[in-house]
Amino acid sequence: MKKYYLIIPIIGILYLAGHLISKPAKKWARAHVNYITEVDDHPLNCLNCHLYEKEEGPIYKILNRQYISPLNLTLSKEGNKMYVVGQEGNVLLEVDVTSGKVIHKIKVGEHPHSVVLNSNNTLAYVSNQWSDYISVIDLGTSKEIDSLKTGNGPAGLAISNDNNYLYVVNSFSSDISVLDLNLKKEKKRLAAGNNPTCAKISPDGNNVFVTSRRTLPMPYNTPPMTELTVLNTNSQYVTDRIIFEKAYVMENVAFTPSGDLAIATLIRPKNLIPSIQVEKGWMMNHGIGIIERKEGGRIFQFLLDEPNAYYSDPFDIAITPDGKKAFISNAGVNVISVIDIDSLRDFIANTSEDSLKMYANHLGISSKYVITRIATGANPKGLSLSPDGKLLYVAERLEDRIAIINTDNLEVSGHIDLKGPSKITMSRRGRRLFNNAGRTFENQYSCYTCHPDAHEDGLVYNMAAIGRNITNVQTLRDIGDTPPFKWNGKNQSIHKQDGMRFSKYLTRTESFNYDDLDALVCYIRTGIKDIPNLMYNPDENLTPAQQRGKAIFYRTHDNFGNEIPASNRCYTCHPPPYFTNLQMADVGTLAATDDSMLFDTPQLNNIFASSPYLHDGSAPTLEEIWTKFNPEDKHGVANDMLKDQLNDLVEYLKSIREADYYVENPETASDSLLSYH
Amino acid sequence: MKTTNLKHLLITALVFVFFWAADFEIFCQGTGGSFKPAPVPTYGNWKSYSKKNGLPADKAYCVRIDGNRVWVGTSAGLALFENGTWKTYTVDDGLAHNHVISIDVSELSGDLWIGTMGGVSQLSAGKFVTYTQFNSGLANDVIYSIVCDGKDIWAATGGGASHYDTYTREWEIYTERNAPMHEPWTYGVCASEEKVYIAAWGGGVIEQDKKTKRFRDHVDPDGEMEIDLFPDDGVVHDITTAVSYADDILWVATYFGLSRYDGTRWKGFFDHDSGLASNFINNLRAIGPVVFLCTDKGLSSFNGESWVTYKKDENGTSGKVIYRKGDDITENTAPTAIAHNFVIGVDVKGDDIWVATSKGVSHGTKIK
Repeated sequence: MKKYYLIIPIIGILYLAGHLISKPAKKWARAHVNYITEVDDHPLNCLNCHLYEKEEGPIYKILNRQYISPLNLTLSKEGNKMYVVGQEGNVLLEVDVTSGKVIHKIKVGEHPHSVVLNSNNTLAYVSNQWSDYISVIDLGTSKEIDSLKTGNGPAGLAISNDNNYLYVVNSFSSDISVLDLNLKKEKKRLAAGNNPTCAKISPDGNNVFVTSRRTLPMPYNTPPMTELTVLNTNSQYVTDRIIFEKAYVMENVAFTPSGDLAIATLIRPKNLIPSIQVEKGWMMNHGIGIIERKEGGRIFQFLLDEPNAYYSDPFDIAITPDGKKAFISNAGVNVISVIDIDSLRDFIANTSEDSLKMYANHLGISSKYVITRIATGANPKGLSLSPDGKLLYVAERLEDRIAIINTDNLEVSGHIDLKGPSKITMSRRGRRLFNNAGRTFENQYSCYTCHPDAHEDGLVYNMAAIGRNITNVQTLRDIGDTPPFKWNGKNQSIHKQDGMRFSKYLTRTESFNYDDLDALVCYIRTGIKDIPNLMYNPDENLTPAQQRGKAIFYRTHDNFGNEIPASNRCYTCHPPPYFTNLQMADVGTLAATDDSMLFDTPQLNNIFASSPYLHDGSAPTLEEIWTKFNPEDKHGVANDMLKDQLNDLVEYLKSIREADYYVENPETASDSLLSYH
Repeated sequence: MKTTNLKHLLITALVFVFFWAADFEIFCQGTGGSFKPAPVPTYGNWKSYSKKNGLPADKAYCVRIDGNRVWVGTSAGLALFENGTWKTYTVDDGLAHNHVISIDVSELSGDLWIGTMGGVSQLSAGKFVTYTQFNSGLANDVIYSIVCDGKDIWAATGGGASHYDTYTREWEIYTERNAPMHEPWTYGVCASEEKVYIAAWGGGVIEQDKKTKRFRDHVDPDGEMEIDLFPDDGVVHDITTAVSYADDILWVATYFGLSRYDGTRWKGFFDHDSGLASNFINNLRAIGPVVFLCTDKGLSSFNGESWVTYKKDENGTSGKVIYRKGDDITENTAPTAIAHNFVIGVDVKGDDIWVATSKGVSHGTKIK
């Protein structure tokens, strides 16, 4: 009994204390959330930020799941087996099409991208985009039996008809590896467009077409031009570089069965006119590029969009064996657009040359060749047709399943569940939102559109009035701990960056509701990993040039022995692990058309993959930051350097890896606090 | 039967004699029969191109044969000769600079690498990509020589030798700071299977071992700048203008004579004691056992034993072909000649030779 008497006053004291502190605590929490979200009515849900946004550790593991995320797929020549690349699961799934069951789960490298089979279907080749090699899979034993080294970021694959050569698109090093499959080694590497992604071999086997996503380096403030690279399989030389003007993000290409046409998916950005044009249908358009494959053949671009309805982020294209229909996955709006190719041909044949050029921007003509749109699950990506063309298989990336579409009645006839996690985590929900254009005016674009693979698209945008404050798109890779955001540093949090102001100024439609906003922020903070820098720092051992460049990066004295003011040394503003001090700075690059402002110091992790540079993208290469845009040494003391020293500095900058590496290896930074000799 | 065979034999012999005589006539061109067959190929039937008939400028700096195409670097752009017609690429097409000084074709990629007075251009499948000292790691924009060596591109520039690895995208610069050079000015570069050779102004030849990346230099040991004091003691002069490697021989051009290096011994050649047209050698190119030498007084070719030199008559279109082996000199007249005696570039492939001169480019064919 006595014990109970003791408990009562304790409870009383606790209640009183709670009552006394709850109000100020709530007030503090309210102020904190208001600061983070920049609104005053965001629910006080501590867990959303302080639990779900854990980036590692046991809580992260409990709350998150390892999804499969099917990206690309292919069918066996009999059509009874399907091979699906699980991009997040790092697997190749072998699926029995008849039973709709996954029968083998084959471990491959990091972040696999594509799969291709040899002609007798005994071997599968899988490109591992984050491991820089090809997994060779014995389809008899369903085991990886070999690996073939490639360039950086192997993505699209094409195999020669005689099975002797594999053409590998290296998406990060922007070239094509020609692999000799008999010698099991790279024969040569050929330059491709910028950030190439897909390879398709022509029906006659004579050419490989390689699409690319980023624009070629262009003079400042000019529209993008993106390359489709044509490789001759006989000479194994690049014989043509077809330029698509005012277009980019050409994800995939397909040939008609006769090979007379090649059709590629693309996006037509209007990045140099004010972004308020989104309301007029002029921010982003989504369409196809058509190449006539004959002497003097023409190139066309047509839209898949309609007035008041946009079909964002076209990804893959598949053409039926009879050449009558083309299917295009519109990953941002969860539909498959179906094109009647005969209607497309008639339209081209009966339209004047001048009109054809104009139609590249015409929202009203897609009805002439798009016959229907088929709804799918979240984020449809890779497509594959059954050998008879009766069924279309669609990789629903963010559903972990394959949709089956009947190509006669153009309806979804079923699904194949790839047996990914059943739980949809907050981060996964955020990822779906990120990849979906539903929150942009008339579905014009998704976050993914300007941030493909959660990176950046290499363009500059006119975010304000005409010609004012031209802004270079920044990467979203591992940005969670690098506030403030935006070049002008006005957003102290991702909540603010993607909240009300975002919809008001950019998407021009309803803003994300708070649950969705929390989920989107959760994905951005926890779900976007930086790529491994296998191009310039594959084994953590810096080259001699990189070591010399590192010493320059950390130098305290110039070539003449003068001490460099601390504020003007590289590492002062760009310290590891993110290589930013999270402060604002004036580096002398403010343009006459910019508002007066300081710039947020950007992080430098994997900076090699983020050209162009500076806040307005005026420096196409790292070198030009210092050879052209640093006349007064405001962006670090650099004008004393000889050219070979600048080369060394650039080599070091290109070697900078993901932030985690410097967190786990702090000595890599501290050991370089030495003076440069 | 026997009569028929005899007839056939006679006819065959007559045909042989006829062709031999015709051949002989072509080469001797009235020299009275003292001709001795030259061991190096002889070219003739010269046809020249200048601004008058399609070349963008008279001054041609370099020439490169690329299958059925011929590329010529001029002072007004890059000229392409294909199917009998000329096409010109200039800065308007994306070329780095209109003064095109050096060209090489990559066997690996088929791409053309072009050295200009304003940087390096890569012409791939009809599209130019330009590298300058401002937008890349290129040492300097004045490119005297460019060479494709597999995936590696080497450029001799006014600010050092530049190496570009097309796979890793790394640029390296070699100057007097990190190589045994006298100064950063480099004039020529070539590559063998194991080594890279750089003609460095005032520094002789710089040799880099590809595996170890280590350098060694080849200079004139006598150090004499006016004459080659001690013959065959090394490269004939420290001021070198071009290098070319073929058949295990390194050939080095200077403004003071020619050097031949077999990996062990040096041998010098001069206009006063050999068939060399002039000691002032602008450029050279070794093709198999033969080296072609571009001098200010004509084009010479040499295989280590015999010389053939081509000169244009001062007035007129005819020329001379001068053969020399040891002390035997034979001078023949030729109905056609190279465009000008100031020869700057040359390339040979199969039976075709193209010569870049200060007054146009000339195409000749092998006649023996």
